Amino acid sequence: MSRGTQNTLVLLVGLSALVMVIKGTYLHFVKPSLLPWLIAAAVVLIALAVASIVRDLRDAPGSDEHGHRHRPWLVWLLLVPIALTTFVVPPPLGALGAAPEAVAVTAPPKRAFPPLPAGRAPTVSIPDVVMRAAADSTNSLDRRLITLAGFTVKHSEGTDLGRVVIVCCAADAQLARIHLSGAAAAEAAGYPEDTWLQVEGTVVAGTSTESTNFVPTIAVSRVTRIDKPANTYAY
Amino acid sequence: MEVLLASLIALALTAGAMSAFVAGHADVSVAATVFCGVFVQALPFLVLGVVISGLIAAFVSADRLARWLPRRPAVAVAVAGVGGAALPGCECGSVPVARRLFGDGVSGAAALTFMLSAPAINPVVLVATAVAFPGQPAMVLARCMASLITAITMGLLWQRWGRAEWVNRRLTTPHATDASRWTVFTEAARHDFLQAASYLVLGAAAAALLRVALPPWVFQHIAGHLILGVLTMALLAVVLALCSEADAFVAASLTMLPLLPRLVFLVVGPAVDIKLSAMQAGMFGRPFAIRFGPATFVVATVVATVVGVVVLGGVR
Repeated sequence: MSRGTQNTLVLLVGLSALVMVIKGTYLHFVKPSLLPWLIAAAVVLIALAVASIVRDLRDAPGSDEHGHRHRPWLVWLLLVPIALTTFVVPPPLGALGAAPEAVAVTAPPKRAFPPLPAGRAPTVSIPDVVMRAAADSTNSLDRRLITLAGFTVKHSEGTDLGRVVIVCCAADAQLARIHLSGAAAAEAAGYPEDTWLQVEGTVVAGTSTESTNFVPTIAVSRVTRIDKPANTYAY
Repeated sequence: MEVLLASLIALALTAGAMSAFVAGHADVSVAATVFCGVFVQALPFLVLGVVISGLIAAFVSADRLARWLPRRPAVAVAVAGVGGAALPGCECGSVPVARRLFGDGVSGAAALTFMLSAPAINPVVLVATAVAFPGQPAMVLARCMASLITAITMGLLWQRWGRAEWVNRRLTTPHATDASRWTVFTEAARHDFLQAASYLVLGAAAAALLRVALPPWVFQHIAGHLILGVLTMALLAVVLALCSEADAFVAASLTMLPLLPRLVFLVVGPAVDIKLSAMQAGMFGRPFAIRFGPATFVVATVVATVVGVVVLGGVR
């Protein structure tokens, strides 16, 4: 492999990082907080490649044969991430790809959560609800109408509303979910698997226990179908 | 160059068909997303690593490094272990840095200790561990101690039994001594990036495939057996190849397991996993990687178990 090809591959890795940032597709794979680092990495790689290309053009071209490697073909593997992140762009993980563990810890130590936002039915994220139901010493969810958004997960005993939670990147994805019950649960059950819904309801007190694997239940009063959001993960 | 252009054109033409294929096969799609997740997450840390490695090549010569480190090898290893706390980031960045510090092997043991300790005991990782295990500060202490002891032990083992000829990958050293610092820096960073990144692709692909192939009952069946749990969690740390800033949260979520196997998971993961072994094979050489990886695995598992029993107070 010539130095020119190597430099071009470095340039392409940098450009593909930039394309992910511009198109927002990096959110399929990592958290938004990686954005500045990703931009910095793209800039460094592009600068490195341009500097090497310029120097090779200025020096006698093709004369540089040092750096004979054992397996130069391995560098071609860099085409794989370039192809996947810029051309193929695999979709964000759904319920299937996420590890099926609950987010809550076994008998988590109780602590005081900040109060829920004011209003008739504030929007709360599903992992937040799971944590509050399991560990909130102030019981902020009791008798409060809340709004949740997520996708339907069908199982033998009914329908859940789920959200994929990532800590760092897609490799550590976990599924946070909540069982649906109450007046409008039948309507939610009528939708096929992986339909994005917004539901309004009240978390049933005392449903987040060891016997339910810390998956709480919400009594749903209203179900609205929504479009899949641009960023499907919760954090 | 022509091959590259041809492959790019082919990629652009078949992109639609490939996207449809990936979207239509659930397993392929999960593996592709996990692969991209590992690669994209590692990329900034790898770039940081090769920039530091380039700076070392440009400004720190081997004899200057040897002068900085304490004369006695054992003390030098201990200093390198504690010094690892100064490089915040994931483990991917520390491999090229350690290879650069390793040089021709003069300060080899200290460089390897640094490589193992940097991703495990830096402040970012310890804070993440404290957040993931609220109310259990012993977990943070145990992780820090076990990782540091593992790193220092591996350094001393290398000092005693390591052979320079196992490291058969040479670094590029710009031939002309009159090369400017800028040239040395860009050449070293470019070379290290190409080598480390192509092996990162191998490691990320292996992690993605295993993740899809791993049967979900693994977690449920090991809860009751302590030794089985420790061994399984150690192997899982190797297979999953998680970033050291995220593994604490994954360990915290495996609630059916006692703390001890989860500590083993946190100590083994940043020290040895398939992505790291692939990168070490690329930067140091295959004879090095096939000896260093298994040895680190055994040392990390044993040290974590012992420290866990002492610090976490038994096997609950």
